[in-house]
Amino acid sequence: MTLHERLQEVLRTFFNDDELVVTAETVPADVPGWDSLAQVNVVFAIEEAFGIELGDEALSRFASIGELERQITARLKSQGGQRDIAN
Amino acid sequence: MLDVEPSEPVARADGLARARQYQAALDLYLRQAEAFEAPAGALCLKIARCAEQTGRRELAFAWLARVCDASRSFLEWSAASALLLRLLREGRPPARRTVRLGLTGSYTTTQLAAMLRLAALREGIDVILFEGAFNQYRQDLGDPDSGLYGFDPEAVVIAAHHGAVELPPFSETPEEAVAAELARWQSLWRTAAERSGARIIQHTIAVPVEAPFGHLTPRLEGSRDTMTLRLNALMGKAATEGVLLVDCDRVAATFGKAAWFDHRYWFAARQAVSLDALPLLARHTVAVLAAGLGLNRKCLVLDLDNTLWGGVVGEDGLAGIHLGRDPPGEAFVAFQEYVLQLKQRGVVLAVASKNNEADARAVFEQHPDMRIRLADLAAFVCNWEDKPSNLRRVADQLNLGLDALTLVDDNPAERALVRAVLPEVDVIPLPPEPSGYLRALSDYLRFEAAALTAEDRSRTEQYRARTAAAELEAASGGMENFYRSLQMEARVRPFDDFHLPRIAQLVGKTNQFNLTTRRYTLEQLRALMHEPTTVHLYLKLKDRFGDHGLVSVLIACRAGTTLVVDTWLMSCRVIGRTVEAEMLARLCELARSAGIQKIQGTYVPSGKNALVREIYGRFGFVQVGEADGVTTWEYDLAAQGPIRNGFIADWAESDDAA
Repeated sequence: MTLHERLQEVLRTFFNDDELVVTAETVPADVPGWDSLAQVNVVFAIEEAFGIELGDEALSRFASIGELERQITARLKSQGGQRDIAN
Repeated sequence: MLDVEPSEPVARADGLARARQYQAALDLYLRQAEAFEAPAGALCLKIARCAEQTGRRELAFAWLARVCDASRSFLEWSAASALLLRLLREGRPPARRTVRLGLTGSYTTTQLAAMLRLAALREGIDVILFEGAFNQYRQDLGDPDSGLYGFDPEAVVIAAHHGAVELPPFSETPEEAVAAELARWQSLWRTAAERSGARIIQHTIAVPVEAPFGHLTPRLEGSRDTMTLRLNALMGKAATEGVLLVDCDRVAATFGKAAWFDHRYWFAARQAVSLDALPLLARHTVAVLAAGLGLNRKCLVLDLDNTLWGGVVGEDGLAGIHLGRDPPGEAFVAFQEYVLQLKQRGVVLAVASKNNEADARAVFEQHPDMRIRLADLAAFVCNWEDKPSNLRRVADQLNLGLDALTLVDDNPAERALVRAVLPEVDVIPLPPEPSGYLRALSDYLRFEAAALTAEDRSRTEQYRARTAAAELEAASGGMENFYRSLQMEARVRPFDDFHLPRIAQLVGKTNQFNLTTRRYTLEQLRALMHEPTTVHLYLKLKDRFGDHGLVSVLIACRAGTTLVVDTWLMSCRVIGRTVEAEMLARLCELARSAGIQKIQGTYVPSGKNALVREIYGRFGFVQVGEADGVTTWEYDLAAQGPIRNGFIADWAESDDAA
């Protein structure tokens, strides 16, 4: 499973939407339910799923799925799944 | 981390779900889930989603509830909470109890609110939720006209964090500072009690990781951390029956405080508890709520071989089993000692085991390292019948519902059988290694209790007395002789402050012998106590086998020369020994001396109280009305004369010294 597919799976789970499809160009506003209130929760869910910590800025905003994937890739390299997640 | 690759059948089912073939996907998911004792949270969620899509709401609710057991993941709890909210738009879930719950706090509680609803669903509680605005707990609780009180809550969770504590970084007069802060919280509790009668569920304060005084902290009474710990302790002391505490400092420590406090989320979203700790906090909060509602489990049923000791006594012999002396044996001793501590605080112990009874008894009687003794057990069922039959026998002997039992068993096959045949019985899955047993039991939250009364501490003895009485009954023949041989004495008195906690406990949890099942809070009962037209009686019972404590409650209201029974209930432990007749007899005496002509009673079916449907008729009441299963009965005291019971003597205060 590629990083993109894994991220998509996390978002499908989070939004309870088996049919959700995101591309590198998708921005949060394109996904039903992904508003500013949900942002912190979505980012935390991603951090949990990938075992990383994203930058403080990601908590409040980011541009697109592609940009988020670049951040995840960078963090995976530098942190290598630091966050200890049960389950 | 999440499983990266789903198994092949799950991936196939995922494909079906994406193609909107929900029924086929559901079948495939369910077949996968069957293979596991505890299916993963992600699978539970997928089943719930497909169940929703195919319109099977009850199945969807059931699998959402299972996410609570299966998962600690924020992502999965979040998704399950969101799906639950979606399902609730179409109607309420099946539930043991509906509760109007208020949530107010000192930090962002949106996520906690959603998870409380999910954790409550797991305990069979349908929560109707009111969430206060961010950091508005002072206004929500302190303002008598707040939206919270307008909502008319039955319980209110106060989610407080260390930032809410009004204590300085250091105080020269710590005693006064803590006393003033305690008084502030108590005043909020008091307003809540006066304004709503809601039960308060107060989170104690988790002490932060950062310690400016370092290792000097415990030596400095005036340091904020030391004062906060003191505040927690004083809250515990000050908490009345109407206030339950969630010991958050301990929950946070258990979780790991370094992870519990995540400053990134505080600065970004005013989230004082890390999101991944919220499932745990929600479970603990709901455990306390459920205990307050009397939905906790009452009895721990123990398996024997490889649960209380290592090995099989029937094969290895008394000297061959592992118990004490070596590492696996030590683990069993530690487990037994914890079980005994649960007994100390009111959990009834029983044994249900496939074993030769004599072999099993010999271990309890003769093994030097055995901690649990036969006298600690309220029921002892050892034979070669299947586990579900023996669990039924335990429930029968103790006169408890199956939903009061929790089984602890090392054998996954037995656990699966019990889950399938007796879903009401809760099952604690033990890990494969005995060293993990103790933690598995201490992590179990369904033995939480709202309070510890004198009755709790001697509960097993009371149940044993009951079992002994049942055995005597069989031996003596003739019910009247049986009743007399018990040498019963009852003390019937109006409510008083001392007995009110136990009365509230009985009112909150009695199901079977309960005519109207009206659940009054302690505050409501106290108010009732002071109304001049209300008759309120409790009954305490003892017999030659022991003191049963306070076992029955009756509340009636006077209307002219008629006395209307509002509430009448009795603990199941004392059914079948004329205690109900005694209560009515004492009521008649009281009514006569007060010039009452008629006693009126009502039976309201609750689904659990069929036992008492005809009880008024049995004592000569005449049915005068019926609507929707609710029946009304009258007893003409003037014409029919008082009801009498000759089997229970008066238990006078002067006997207490003897």
